Amino acid sequence: MNTKNRTRYVAGLALTAALLVVSLAGCASRPSGQIRYGLTLAPSGIDPHVNASSELGIPLTSVYDTLVYLDPETSEFVPGLAESWSISYDGMEYAFSLREGVTFHDGTPFNAQAVKFNFDRITSPDLKSQKALFMLGPYDRTMVVDENTVLILLKQPYAPLLDSLSQVYLGMASPTAVQKWGADYQLHQVGTGPFVMEEYVPGDHLLLKPNPDYRWGPPVYKNRRAQAAEIEFRFFTDAATRSPALESGEADIMGEIPPQDAKRLESSSDFKIQVVPIPGVSLMFFLNTTRPPLDDVRVRQALLYGTDRKAVISTVFQDLSPLAYGPLAANTLGYDPAVQAFYPYDGEEAAALLAEVGWDDSDGDGILDKAGQKLALEAVLMGWGSMPEVAQLLESQWQALGIQLNSRVVSYPEALQIAQEGSYHLIPFNLSGSDPDILRKFFHSQASFNWSKINDAEMDGWLDEASRLTDRAQRVALYRQVQLRVMDEALVVPVRDYVNLNGVSNRVRDLRYDGQGWFPWLIDVGIASSGK
Amino acid sequence: MAATYLFRRAVGAVFVLWLAATLAFLALKLTPGDPARALLAASGATSDEIAVRRAQLGLDDPLPVQYGRYLVELVRVDLGESWLHGRPVGQMIVEQLPSTVALAIAATAVAVVLGLLLGLPAALRQGTWVDTLTTSISVVCLSTPTYWSGLLAILVFSLYLPLFPSAGQGSPGHLVLPAGVLGFAMSGAIARVVRAQVVEVLRANYVVAARAKGLTPRRVLFVHVLRNALGPALAVTALQFGFMLSGAVVTESVFARSGLGKLVVQAIVWRDLPVVRGVMLVAALAFVLTSLAADLARGWLDPRLREGLQ
Repeated sequence: MNTKNRTRYVAGLALTAALLVVSLAGCASRPSGQIRYGLTLAPSGIDPHVNASSELGIPLTSVYDTLVYLDPETSEFVPGLAESWSISYDGMEYAFSLREGVTFHDGTPFNAQAVKFNFDRITSPDLKSQKALFMLGPYDRTMVVDENTVLILLKQPYAPLLDSLSQVYLGMASPTAVQKWGADYQLHQVGTGPFVMEEYVPGDHLLLKPNPDYRWGPPVYKNRRAQAAEIEFRFFTDAATRSPALESGEADIMGEIPPQDAKRLESSSDFKIQVVPIPGVSLMFFLNTTRPPLDDVRVRQALLYGTDRKAVISTVFQDLSPLAYGPLAANTLGYDPAVQAFYPYDGEEAAALLAEVGWDDSDGDGILDKAGQKLALEAVLMGWGSMPEVAQLLESQWQALGIQLNSRVVSYPEALQIAQEGSYHLIPFNLSGSDPDILRKFFHSQASFNWSKINDAEMDGWLDEASRLTDRAQRVALYRQVQLRVMDEALVVPVRDYVNLNGVSNRVRDLRYDGQGWFPWLIDVGIASSGK
Repeated sequence: MAATYLFRRAVGAVFVLWLAATLAFLALKLTPGDPARALLAASGATSDEIAVRRAQLGLDDPLPVQYGRYLVELVRVDLGESWLHGRPVGQMIVEQLPSTVALAIAATAVAVVLGLLLGLPAALRQGTWVDTLTTSISVVCLSTPTYWSGLLAILVFSLYLPLFPSAGQGSPGHLVLPAGVLGFAMSGAIARVVRAQVVEVLRANYVVAARAKGLTPRRVLFVHVLRNALGPALAVTALQFGFMLSGAVVTESVFARSGLGKLVVQAIVWRDLPVVRGVMLVAALAFVLTSLAADLARGWLDPRLREGLQ
């Protein structure tokens, strides 16, 4: 009897404790005008000069200002901290006149010395920059001409420079704060932007408050003042928890909603799904042209004809992603719509091409063979971006053609190593970037992502020349040739243009994204008071 | 006596730490993938630039040299700088410790209470429906993956009944769901051990003797049975506590919490050796300390073990 009572007693205690906690939990409330923004990556470092994650730019694009801004509507560069600029005839000297009267959040004046300080910092070997350094291309040095004029000197002409300068990775940080905080600067970042980084607790949250002195916003901002009272960022690394967090009010804006959840949220009256197309290199399977049987262009073309991309888009991506036809996403500068004419889904054409090469199912097992070899391909996948799901669908589509696809999922560093060694037939990848020079990272014979293993001197020449030309029309013409060559040679199986699927509460107003598609212009974002 | 015992334990602890650090080093070195390439490839760095960075990180040196440097830094308690984050590792761990320890303690409390609530009635009513029921529940606890129970808990207690926040940390309320889910999963093992031990002790002659002496059932249970039966349960709990310090990554992700688990998983993916080493050390240290504490507590519970120590 006594033990029974004891058990009841313990249970009663536990219940009391639980109730106590419930009452404590009820205490937290949210300040009015506060926006909660859900980020999706486990935050690695967030110093834009040091780190490479695209996630860091979501809050920090509004903490820092850049010298120029890219207007996504016109694809033109507009003034930011630089009022005007000029490029020398040889494309190796960029002169910037800086806006006067700009101060950093800590009161430090912004001037030509500050610009030089920032570029010196980024290019210093001690900083071990993972991205910003390489965005500067063949950078040589910065010269201070006078208080409000700087000259950036390059070792070679480099057309993507303005595009690089428009991104937060080359944003202007306060020299005073950088020197004061040293290794701790990541936690105490200071820029000139519309928001001040108030607090950052790594892994937990990051808090932005409006900068009351801000009055030098670029023309792409609609408002001169921040519309939100504060913006709190939290990190939702588990994709399955993102839409519940939105629905329970833990977040007002949530990035990278899984496509299945997006469909469900769309039907709710409290939320909308904001689909932001990301420029750059579409999600595509790179075909290793040095490894048989993919060394034969007809086999590669057969794969393209044999792929029902529409089915992939509707099954895996719930029709929320644009179908990709070529290597560049459709909203990237220089995209050539001519790629849409290549390789429409046509199983018969695919079969005919394979038969022409001599592949035939001689033993009747459903898999084509030639000289005793089966037509089996190996795909190496990374676990993100629905790559495994896409590969699964391709496996069944290609099986109908008698092609066996074996895939394995590996980590990113391992995939890079496999790509180096060349022991694969296909690897899917996508990369965002607003300048078409991104093609040089993939289709130049010396490129780090030359996963098609292509060695085409003519294409190398086009890519190199286009990276040096400052005339936009000439560049675009060269990139057209590259895109057509990539499709002629069937170097890739394009799948979809990447989209940033945001779940957004209906109380949120004016959420717009920059030219990269990832980074919101937070100054304009407002929130209506809770209707509940 | 106690001094030699502590000395033996200390030597054992140093050995465990060395072993953990060496395993971490070997595991990362044997996994394919170049950290420098992983960090820089997407930024458009050329192969030459990647090679420069690799040399800068010391990844070009022969493996024994790298291992030697790694151990020297370890002895000097210089945890180094994260290759991915570009920040001091020691500082990163210190930042993550409070939320990790809070979750581990709260989850352990839940696990112990739930483990006793499930294990004791099963043992005391062995073979009855009570036993069947509680044993079944403990199997459910053991076999439910936390990513699933976590999502379920969010749906029920955060979405349908908005009682607790589903994400983040800061208030005690934020701890309820993650600690509940993690404690629920951990309680299964504790319940099984408690049940098995109590059943065994109940059969012991001294319990029969205690009953025969006419002691109250309560006194028999708490003084004679539990005291002897709880030792192994304590050891299991200590192991689980140690595990939770670096292995609660699923729970941390589901409830959008920070923590060492998330930190180390990211570091492994990026081959960020300094961070992996740092977290391994903290975890190994936690295991050493909690098992020492558990052994001391067992000695206090069970005088026979105390004799054995001396």
